[in-house]
Amino acid sequence: MSKKSKRLSLLLTSMMAVSVLLSACGGGSNNASSNDSASGSKGNSEKPVELIWYTIGAPQKDLDMVVAEINKYTKEKINATLKINMLDYGDYSQKMQVKVASGEPMDIMFTSSWALDYVQNARKGAFMELDSLIDKYGKDIKTAIDPAFLEGSKVDGHNYAIPANKELPAQEVWRFNKELVDKYKLDISKATTLDSIEPMLKTIKENEPGVTPYAMVKDYMPVLPFDYIIEKMPMAVYLNTKDYKIVNILESPELKSSLETVHKYYKAGYVSSEVATTSSVDDLYKAGKWFMDRATTQPMADNLWTASYGYPVVSTPAGESYIYNWSVMGSMQAISANSEHPEKAMEFLNLLNTDPYLRNLVDSGIEGVHYEKINDNTIKNLPEAKNYDMPSFSLGNIMINYLNEGDPADKWEQFKKFNEAGINAPLLGFNFDTSKVTSEIAAVQNVKEEFWAPLMTGTVDPDEYLPKAIEKFKAAGLDKIIAEAQTQIDAWKAANNK
Amino acid sequence: MKMIGGFIRNIIKDKVMLLMVLPGALWFLFFSYLPMVGTVIAFKEYRYSREGFWASIFHSKWVGWDNFKFLFTTNDAYIITRNTLLYNAVFILLGLVLSVVMAIVLAEIANKKLAKVYQTGMFLPYFLSWVVVGYFAFSFLSSESGVLNQILGYFGAEPINWYSEKKYWPVILVLVYLWKALGYNSVVYLAAIMGIDKSLYEAAMIDGAGKFQQIKNITLPLLSPIITIMTLLAIGKIFYADFGLFYQVPRNSGTLYSVTNVIDTYVYQGLKSTGEIGMSTAAGLYQSVVGFVLVITSNYIVRKFNKDSALF
Repeated sequence: MSKKSKRLSLLLTSMMAVSVLLSACGGGSNNASSNDSASGSKGNSEKPVELIWYTIGAPQKDLDMVVAEINKYTKEKINATLKINMLDYGDYSQKMQVKVASGEPMDIMFTSSWALDYVQNARKGAFMELDSLIDKYGKDIKTAIDPAFLEGSKVDGHNYAIPANKELPAQEVWRFNKELVDKYKLDISKATTLDSIEPMLKTIKENEPGVTPYAMVKDYMPVLPFDYIIEKMPMAVYLNTKDYKIVNILESPELKSSLETVHKYYKAGYVSSEVATTSSVDDLYKAGKWFMDRATTQPMADNLWTASYGYPVVSTPAGESYIYNWSVMGSMQAISANSEHPEKAMEFLNLLNTDPYLRNLVDSGIEGVHYEKINDNTIKNLPEAKNYDMPSFSLGNIMINYLNEGDPADKWEQFKKFNEAGINAPLLGFNFDTSKVTSEIAAVQNVKEEFWAPLMTGTVDPDEYLPKAIEKFKAAGLDKIIAEAQTQIDAWKAANNK
Repeated sequence: MKMIGGFIRNIIKDKVMLLMVLPGALWFLFFSYLPMVGTVIAFKEYRYSREGFWASIFHSKWVGWDNFKFLFTTNDAYIITRNTLLYNAVFILLGLVLSVVMAIVLAEIANKKLAKVYQTGMFLPYFLSWVVVGYFAFSFLSSESGVLNQILGYFGAEPINWYSEKKYWPVILVLVYLWKALGYNSVVYLAAIMGIDKSLYEAAMIDGAGKFQQIKNITLPLLSPIITIMTLLAIGKIFYADFGLFYQVPRNSGTLYSVTNVIDTYVYQGLKSTGEIGMSTAAGLYQSVVGFVLVITSNYIVRKFNKDSALF
């Protein structure tokens, strides 16, 4: 019996050894072939290269049909064809993380500050460094998109992805259900700070029993004058900082007073009593049973919201317009570190960001099937468009897209103006390298999950819970993270003459 | 040489049996034994290499026990370990008693059709995903539209904000777990009861034994091997909490963490944003090693008392 098991273990080990050898060899030969193709001449007789592209969004029914059309064009232009894989929003980060970690073959992939985290994956080596590739094969990108995007999305001084040219700053607005605003003749321009909205909430609460005055979700955070080191973590510098000193926002008077106000609103019933566990209020939006909330805006956002809810929505600024790291990194396409054809991938990204025909084909589908042209650059969706409804923001330069029916002719001009009006946030261009404090971050994340939503949504009394939270954050190692971040910021500040 | 000959002869002799074992053996080989190589990731800072997965492992830096640190740095370590162990201990104990009782009751129901209906009804929740069960619980516990609060309101009592009152949750979690798992476990015992030789009961009846004496002296003793095995297997998993139960059912409510945070949810919360697979591998390895030690020890204890019931 024991001899048998010895034999089995021998078999096992040798199998593993063989598989390691095989995969190592496989890696080697891949390398060699990619070098060959790089040095080889670019004749049209060469077999077209297939680029594997993973991007975010619900898979579309007519994707194959459109891809066939795209391939006709790209084959002629850059001798490459595409294989587009779409993964839905909820799955994207997780599935891609596994694909990247296991080295699945791919060339281009969507990345951002909110799905498949760009900075972390760039640092872990998931993406190819693009500096020289952009210079060689992506020259047109540099002129086509706002330079602030390429500059702002550098990690440790290098570009690892091509950002989409779109709205650059982020600005918070108060949104209102216009029907209720009109009914009670409210003046929304009076809404500025969190305190200023109280009279309106009160009116609605007293007169509209079925309506949630403030449609809040568990991710809610007050507008505070901070630029965060890591989003939704309690360490930040003041937006008007001169010395770049990191503060623990839980100890700031601004947060304290905001939390007291929100807690007051919670007790008054202006927000749902379940807000701390509510991750979506879509049902309120669908039924129109809400009065106000807060959102991040973009030019002509009111029209978009009105169109998607089916009733008028209006908004008024709740904060200033700032360019943050996360707003710059909102949507990007990276080239995978294991791509066998990085040059072709860059040529394709170059074309996607500069060629209106290709960009609109990818975005809106085939003319005459999914849309029809009203004039030179305005289109109208046909019924078939529901089978090819791609998320525009994720697919590169949106400013060469056709206008939709009803859009103002100067839509992209308005975007440019909006971008120019943004103020650079102090930490724009700084990316915290967390590798020295990963254990502390994991512990702090847990504390955050425990206290964040109940505190921010006003579910618990800040007088009691804020000191508890501060103490527990410290015990989990927040101060160590802050110290490490401060060292990095000071070095970055010195290097960039801030 | 002789040995190899014997080996081949054995294979030929048992070829039918071996063929039956083959799929299972291959499954374990590919999905349980081969991936064990990956446990080295627990001791590495995993970084991607362009030559693929093996090269990534090979080129990543060794970091010793660093990846395990986050599990033990804060006093949350005590809370999550306590919660995981206590909940699982209660689940094992109550689950065992109730499912054996349920199995015996089902076996004793004279109307076999009715017994089948009960059995199926109890079995059904086992197939529901925790997300669905989470919403079931929500429809009871929601503070605005939940069934429980409406009943409380009917009696004139103050509504309770269930998702922020932690004192109720140990009971709620145990109830939800039992509701979901009871059916499945009792079917296992029911099958064992069905396999008991009917003539034993006939003999007992002739000797004048009543129902309870039959259960006490025939059913339970004959069930004890399967009870031991099921319990031993459950003890092996005592360090793994059911993620869905502890994450979906309390709707990840922060105020409940001190009674709902378990090792699995802690690891998930801590690593979902950093994506350090080294650290999640470390947590998994830690759970497996503790589970392994527990199984060996409890098996050793079982052997002391009753050699036949032990697993190995």
